[in-house]
Amino acid sequence: MRETKLKILQYITGIALFFFVGTHLIISHLGSEEVTEWTSVADRAANSGWLVFYIILLLFGLYHGIHGLRTIILEALPRLSVKSLDFTLVIIGLAIFGYALYIPVSAF
Amino acid sequence: MQDLTFRVQRYLPGKDSKPYMQEFTVPMRQGLTVLDGLIYIKENLDNTLSFRSSCRMGICGSCGMLINNFPMLACHTPVEELNTDTITVKSLPNFPIIRDLVADLDPLFEKHRSIDPYIVMAETGDLNKLTAQFLQSGEELQSYLQFAYCVKCGLCMAACPTVSTDEFFLGPQPLCQGYRYCTDRRDTGAKQRFEKADSGHGVWLCHLAGACSEACPKGVDPALAIQLLKRAMVFDSLRLRKKPEPATPAQPIAESKPKIEVPEFTVKQ
Ligand code: SF4
Ligand code: SF4
Ligand code: FES
Repeated sequence: MRETKLKILQYITGIALFFFVGTHLIISHLGSEEVTEWTSVADRAANSGWLVFYIILLLFGLYHGIHGLRTIILEALPRLSVKSLDFTLVIIGLAIFGYALYIPVSAF
Repeated sequence: MQDLTFRVQRYLPGKDSKPYMQEFTVPMRQGLTVLDGLIYIKENLDNTLSFRSSCRMGICGSCGMLINNFPMLACHTPVEELNTDTITVKSLPNFPIIRDLVADLDPLFEKHRSIDPYIVMAETGDLNKLTAQFLQSGEELQSYLQFAYCVKCGLCMAACPTVSTDEFFLGPQPLCQGYRYCTDRRDTGAKQRFEKADSGHGVWLCHLAGACSEACPKGVDPALAIQLLKRAMVFDSLRLRKKPEPATPAQPIAESKPKIEVPEFTVKQ
């Protein structure tokens, strides 16, 4: 049951994003002022724990967003072929993932 | 009593380019339903007006219409309840129009048929070739009873915002009936219905807006059935769904002799 499995992943990433986005927001915006300073950004970028954290945040955020977009497109354009839509979205997702991954990995 | 103004949608495919509204004055009387008003128009003012009705008591599901912008059964809608003396009647949205107020319900029936809305039996394939009678507890009956009250009137499909944007979306009535049979212990066809409800235009497109349940004139709650179906499909997908116990076959009726002999005829036949 492909659609059900995709939806289960949507739910899991949605719940996990509460934690990941919440932590990210607290660290970047609600913490003490130094967190946005260059040295502290660079420190986090050099830490493997934070690297893994941001890669997971990126993966989950991308999946959740792209799956949501897929649902809206499928409903708005019901005659669209599901296979070609999925193919296009996977390519777009991989391209964004590759580009976004480059930034923290190159800073590491 | 004050007269009523009926604004009725007219449309004859092939003649009219698009539907238009026509006004009629109908005398008010106590207990008048919208269907009574339409029958009055047909019998006294314009016999070309077309609408569908049969039982006139909310049972057959034929007279679904858009009444003052809400999908309702015309025979089940007393004019007094509308709190207005202008009544606008159109054919059900989300369905093609055959003529005037007659909506083409074929898309509903096709989608309904596609979800296997009957008891599937592993042994024999269908209920017509029963090998035994099956017992059912009150609790088992309650698990699907409200969903079994559906009269296939199509009001829920007319109210559903997803059906209006995606014509291929299975919709509340078929999905609700799919769930109704999946909960029945006599049925073994849940898997095949799950596969059908799992399409890109299936159960996961439902937004849970609940418009279907609000519109249903029979107290069925299709939105609830859809949520329960989603849950069953998630559990099944994660292999956590408990396999329902097979239905208990009833004891065959014992052969018995009539206790009292039938007396001989005393009158010559
Ligand atoms: S709850 Fe689902 S099926 Fe019912 S009206 Fe809303 S979208 Fe349609
Ligand atoms: S669920 Fe209710 S509104 Fe929908 S077809 Fe059945 S009786 Fe009509
Ligand atoms: S005429 Fe049968 S439900 Fe209205």
